[in-house]
Amino acid sequence: MRTAKEGAPQKEAVEVLVNYQIAPGVFRLHLRSPQVAEAIEGGQFVHLRINGGDTLLRRPLSVCQADNGEIHILYAVVGKGTSLLAEKPIGDNSMDVLGPLGREWPIDEGVKAPLLVGGGLGIAPLGKLAHYFRDKSIPVTIIQGGQNAERLLVRDDHKDVERDIRFATDDGSFGYHGLVTELVKEAIAEKEYDRVYICGPEVMQQAVSKITLEAGIETFVSFERRMACGIGACLGCVIPTTEGLKRVCADGPVFNATEVMWDDAVTSRV
Amino acid sequence: MTPSPQEFDMSVKIGSLVMRNPVTVASGTFGSGKEYADFVDLGSLGAIVTKGVSAVPWTGNDGRRIIETASGMLNSIGLQNPGVEAFCSHDLTWLRVHAPQATIIVNVSGHTVDDYVEVIDRLESEPDVAAYEINISCPNVDKGGLAFGVSADQSFEVTAACRARTTRPIIMKLTPNVTDIAEIACACEHAGADGVSLINTVLATSLDIERRVFRVERKVAGLSGPAIKPIALRMVYAASQAIGIPVIGMGGIACPDDAIEFMLAGANAVAIGTGNFLDPTLTTQCIERIESYGRAQGFDRASDLTSALKG
Repeated sequence: MRTAKEGAPQKEAVEVLVNYQIAPGVFRLHLRSPQVAEAIEGGQFVHLRINGGDTLLRRPLSVCQADNGEIHILYAVVGKGTSLLAEKPIGDNSMDVLGPLGREWPIDEGVKAPLLVGGGLGIAPLGKLAHYFRDKSIPVTIIQGGQNAERLLVRDDHKDVERDIRFATDDGSFGYHGLVTELVKEAIAEKEYDRVYICGPEVMQQAVSKITLEAGIETFVSFERRMACGIGACLGCVIPTTEGLKRVCADGPVFNATEVMWDDAVTSRV
Repeated sequence: MTPSPQEFDMSVKIGSLVMRNPVTVASGTFGSGKEYADFVDLGSLGAIVTKGVSAVPWTGNDGRRIIETASGMLNSIGLQNPGVEAFCSHDLTWLRVHAPQATIIVNVSGHTVDDYVEVIDRLESEPDVAAYEINISCPNVDKGGLAFGVSADQSFEVTAACRARTTRPIIMKLTPNVTDIAEIACACEHAGADGVSLINTVLATSLDIERRVFRVERKVAGLSGPAIKPIALRMVYAASQAIGIPVIGMGGIACPDDAIEFMLAGANAVAIGTGNFLDPTLTTQCIERIESYGRAQGFDRASDLTSALKG
């Protein structure tokens, strides 16, 4: 048997501990996966093999929390694979993950005033990062957006992290009525942030990073793409960057916002 | 059944190339090995077949590159690669340092006959290259690729041109998108190939009915995965019956028993492709299974499986 290097990805059988709907079409999944839980960092993902039906490929899923041998995942039911996943009962042990995969959010020591911006399911990859800053007693501002109140997913998860959480909804059913971009403008006018982390729809990432980069704040974003291997081999998930095509799975999913060729990246996604 | 205490010989030969076992990987699914080093002991594989390498860098295709289909997947990668120079300085150097035991077969891509020759000429001075696999079957590029592999005459021409440049083993990678695979395989053999590998992906497509558009920008892509395994088995059998040189069989191997099936169909070695995406340890499992199956069936060597089909 090969012994894994510390932090190196591995294949691990998982058991379903929790799998329930938290909003229409959105599920919360907890898996027992001790080795991945121990090694994974905020912003990394796992590649889940969902056995059943005629689906073939693994599904890349970002991990929002990892603790006590468990990894916590939010997923939207969007197709065959996630529909099968939604039917997995508690105790199911038919699946395995590859992980941890991808590059984590950079959290160098110098960061003292981070701003986290999440849209829709994009709040998930920011979860572990928020807890990291809590543990370091670094005050965090979180700006979370969604279509409506029930799409402000897991908004209670961050209550214990930091009280400065601001919400925006498209329909005004909770928090600010409008886009997160307005809240971001407000926030950076009030306080001097030294790092921004964004995850959400690409047009939202593009719009927010434009604001924060213009304000001179170092900004990181996280991409989502369809993937086959998940480990950098197949070149199925590339995005255009200033340094050429980069793989979302292995060079990302986290990228410095300045290196992304935004217009090409957003339109290349079909 | 108790395994026989005698040695079981796992090695197989493709021309002068000795592979320590019959299990290799399909080009494009395994990078140059580095990406799998956390999951597989690269030196334990029969060989690593690298991603396709061209004379100059290729950027690959725009738009969606991966589409899942029923028990399969479409890809439209388009042979993105950094070119042979970067391949030598990065990939081969990495392998030399981190996987010195690995047997390396470089997959060679080109738009023209001269392109193939240029890549081989550059690689001839690299001592770590054990053999070449010549890709005359990629459905995802506009020039060359598949165009060579659907014609017996052009397959002969590419093979002969490569043969003239090297004494290393040459394996021609064949497409299933032909009427008579035996004719193409024979042309390669007559032109001096040491082996053939098949099948590359099956030409296919997928449509989005809501947007009423093709899901892939080039309108065609390559189908792989378990969906194509029965097609691949039939073609491996047909090719192996027609030629005297070894066959590397592949196409939809998704579990160790699938690898056995290809050996019985007449393959001298097998390659895991899309199966690596499903389980990055599948190659290792196939090696173990071929040995345990071979012993259990009473054989002395893995190569016995190639002629073991009873009919």
